[in-house]
Amino acid sequence: MTREAARLERIIGVVLRTGVAVSSACLAFGLLLSLFGAADLAAAVMNVGVVVLLVTPVARVVVSIVEYAAARDWTFVVLTAIVLVELAASAVFALVFNKRL
Amino acid sequence: MPVVTPSLAFLIFAAGAVSGGLGALLGIGGGVFLVPFLNLGVGLAYPVAAAISLATVIATSTSVSAGRAGKQLINIRLGMVLEVATAAGSLLGGVTAQFVAASVLQKLFGVVAIVVALIMVGRLNRRNVILDPAADPGLLGGRFHEHESGGTVTYQVKRLPVALLASFVAGNVSSLLGIGGGVIKVPVLNAWCGIPLRAAAATSAFMIGVTATAGAVIYYGRGELTPALAAAAVLGVQVGSWGGMQFGARASTKWLKLLMAAVLFGLAIMMFVRGGR
Repeated sequence: MTREAARLERIIGVVLRTGVAVSSACLAFGLLLSLFGAADLAAAVMNVGVVVLLVTPVARVVVSIVEYAAARDWTFVVLTAIVLVELAASAVFALVFNKRL
Repeated sequence: MPVVTPSLAFLIFAAGAVSGGLGALLGIGGGVFLVPFLNLGVGLAYPVAAAISLATVIATSTSVSAGRAGKQLINIRLGMVLEVATAAGSLLGGVTAQFVAASVLQKLFGVVAIVVALIMVGRLNRRNVILDPAADPGLLGGRFHEHESGGTVTYQVKRLPVALLASFVAGNVSSLLGIGGGVIKVPVLNAWCGIPLRAAAATSAFMIGVTATAGAVIYYGRGELTPALAAAAVLGVQVGSWGGMQFGARASTKWLKLLMAAVLFGLAIMMFVRGGR
């Protein structure tokens, strides 16, 4: 395993751990709030947790593109960039055209 | 929107724990269990169940991969290549839904699951590992330390187009069914593409976060993702995936293959039940 690959794996680990920690903390706190009746605040906090959860895999893809670019591994820059475009496109298509799943 | 009571939240927390445990063991999101449980067992509408399931798939993928990053079990390069196919599959998932009736798709899926399960059982004693440490893993292969054989195992990736096709199909059915698609990728990567079960599971777990995100965003945008229920399920996943990872490194490959085959048979039954209605 090359040094760049080990570094990428470490950075991806940091991104994923941060995403899990932040979203879990928000979701747990929100769930507790909702049990004690603070419905509006609970919904807002849980919403943040859900959004962080959804953003984490996307952030992992973005970080990979940056790291592959820094390592001048253009094949993988292109491949991961395609993944990002596909993710963006599926969200846009679905939300704009509101197709049935 | 379903009414969220503490007992419902706890039930969904427990179901999330089971999904997370299976995710850590087999590299699948566990949506295969969660969707029928929430839909048929708890009585949530299919889109609501699928949305919660996709949220847990992301959580499983993220926490399992975070726990494993740095241990070289995840084949990140292979994962990135296959993600191109799986994300393309997700993108075209809506198109597939327009042209193929859901019931046809589900029955087809059931048949495929049974065939793959039988192949898994037939290959119980065959291993994809090369124990020679000097062996060349090739462009996309890898090597990792395995507890079971007590050494570093090396593997080469065979039949990349088959792996790409399986990833495409996995992405294609993901948003439609509310699953991550690991249940399709892991057996195919193991049976046909030369990848050891543990590496296939870790790489699949890494990829399903991206697969599920495409679908989850759609449900979230439509307001079908209930935050409180997703919260309960996702927290369950954290507990379950931690437990699964502790157990997974010690479990034998043979046992994991039998568990995977059992999951596939369960999936087939679920598909026939849904497809028949």
